[in-house]
Amino acid sequence: MNPTRWRQITDLFHAALEREGEARAAFLRDATAGDPELLAEVQSLIASHERSGAFLDAPAWEAAAHLILDDERALTGKTLGAYRIAEEIGRGGMGVVYAAHDERLGRDVALKALPPEFTRDARRRERLTREARAAAALSHPSIATIYSLEDIDGELYIVSELVRGRTLREELHGGPLAREQLVPTLVQIASGLAAAHEQGIVHRDLKPENVIRRADGQVKILDFGLAHIDTAPDLPAFKRLTEAGVAMGTPGYMAPEQFGGRSIDARCDVFAFGVLAWELATGEHPFGADAAALLTRMTELLEGRSAGISRHLAPPALDRIVRRCLRARPAERYASGREMLEDVRALERASGWTSARAFDDTDRLWWWRFHQVSIASLNAAMPIATWFVRPLVRPFGSWLFFAALAAATVSVTLRLNLWFTSRVQADLLPEQRGRLYPSILLSDALLSAVLIALAVLMAGNHDEVAALLLTVAIVILASLALIEPTTTRAAGLLPPRQR
Amino acid sequence: MADDRQSLDSLLPVVYQELRKLAAAYLRRERPGQTLQPTALVHEAYLRLMKDKPNRWQNRAHFCAIAAHSMRQILIERARARGALKRGGARPRITLDEGLVGGSEVSTDLLALDEAMERLAALDAGQARLVELRFFGGLTVEETAEAMNISPATVKRHWTVARAWLARELESAPNA
Repeated sequence: MNPTRWRQITDLFHAALEREGEARAAFLRDATAGDPELLAEVQSLIASHERSGAFLDAPAWEAAAHLILDDERALTGKTLGAYRIAEEIGRGGMGVVYAAHDERLGRDVALKALPPEFTRDARRRERLTREARAAAALSHPSIATIYSLEDIDGELYIVSELVRGRTLREELHGGPLAREQLVPTLVQIASGLAAAHEQGIVHRDLKPENVIRRADGQVKILDFGLAHIDTAPDLPAFKRLTEAGVAMGTPGYMAPEQFGGRSIDARCDVFAFGVLAWELATGEHPFGADAAALLTRMTELLEGRSAGISRHLAPPALDRIVRRCLRARPAERYASGREMLEDVRALERASGWTSARAFDDTDRLWWWRFHQVSIASLNAAMPIATWFVRPLVRPFGSWLFFAALAAATVSVTLRLNLWFTSRVQADLLPEQRGRLYPSILLSDALLSAVLIALAVLMAGNHDEVAALLLTVAIVILASLALIEPTTTRAAGLLPPRQR
Repeated sequence: MADDRQSLDSLLPVVYQELRKLAAAYLRRERPGQTLQPTALVHEAYLRLMKDKPNRWQNRAHFCAIAAHSMRQILIERARARGALKRGGARPRITLDEGLVGGSEVSTDLLALDEAMERLAALDAGQARLVELRFFGGLTVEETAEAMNISPATVKRHWTVARAWLARELESAPNA
């Protein structure tokens, strides 16, 4: 087309618009006689004119308001309230996320600047406040803790634990997770979900983008209970589902009942967990790689049929877990994260994550239990020993005795607590051990330090006693550094050594 | 043209600031009486710049044209930057707020619109300028007529056909 042709089309377009119905059709036929291309062009322009509605009627700053205001708060380097902004670490429909330093408490935090709609709309703001409060009550190693919701100069910010690492989405770019990494990762995610569900908090938007693995291997679920702020306000879910290119966004992780806006509960997270588990195991989305396949599966699910996924996962136990998560009817899925966690843990025990495959479950823990009881007995004996040597070491004898008593009491109590847990609730043991271990380490170290101090003070006067105390101190330290890690690993309470 | 370039540079920050003010006011959904009128954008920026450098602008029409053009430039740059951030450089697709661009009949892609306007300029530069003034500059029909030195009736005619053409171009554009 050239300008002359365009002028001709324009003129005909206006002339035709002045006429209606049959008169217009007749006019166009006559005016474009012998030029069907011209006729088609004008007709298509008229059709476009008639359905264009309010196209371009609003000025650009209204139509693209979000785009303009998006980084109004490009804050890097500035100080906001008590927070010094270090750098931007993320950006999405939910606003911009910064790494920041809390000057009051001297810790690094993640600061999420919420889109302006939340500040303006009182109802959304109230709901957000309520949900942030609920989510802030969550404390679990697999959940990024929410510290506070801050209102700074009329804008809302969510302050949370700063988690640095790779999202599972990034890990998935490199293909499926390695077998020995897969199940422990699933256990961590499931245990975070279980803890949240027990507090009545549902994530609603679990997906690989929302889970980060730190450098130390700890997996953290982000944005618990705050999922609704992550949905772009201007695009309903079904719309995003049908947009080419974004099909693998959130809709691929939504349970069928979430599409209908029906009651959302823990079982939505169970569904999303199923999708995530499949993806981590295979490197692919269970519902297919493109939007069309996703739509087919979603339709099956929405009609109450479970998605007919033809491939099977290995091991079969994992396949069963994932399929139970992906049931169309919520009632057929796991009722909550806790129930799911039990199965994933069973899978973990069965999958030989530990190096001690030959032992059965009870055997694996035997050496670990034996170690705990032995060290506890040895530690318990130490206050008695220091009581007797106390008069030999003046003036510090009494102080050292009290220090030994305190350290030994803490260590013995905690070790017996773990021993008891292993007898009664073995499934809680890994978490329990993780929580108590730093205190055990500290008290044992303190106890051996006291023994060494006594030995040093007595050396020269009571060499036999000093030698005995020194030996015990070395035994405690050696057991802490060498024997305990080995028995613990053998019991399957620690991941196998990294290669 | 070099002079325009210079004018544009001094105008951009001011226009950007006004753009934000307007967008924020719109998102607050203030009642119409309280909303900044569309032309207030251009008007305020005009007054501010006249105070600084009274002689740079030949007249208000010239100013409006440049202001609208700089708004387009700002928005397109931002749409590109945002797309690049999101998809690692793939062609970004920035969908405009749907409630405003005619319900869901036409979903507008800002960058596709920009490209379509370039094509329109090749057919009729005046029409492309007119769309720029109306959509990116937010001028009314009358103001556009004044700025382009044509009658309001002509503005309406050009606007109708240009809009129909652009809507059709965007519909048929590949959504990749």
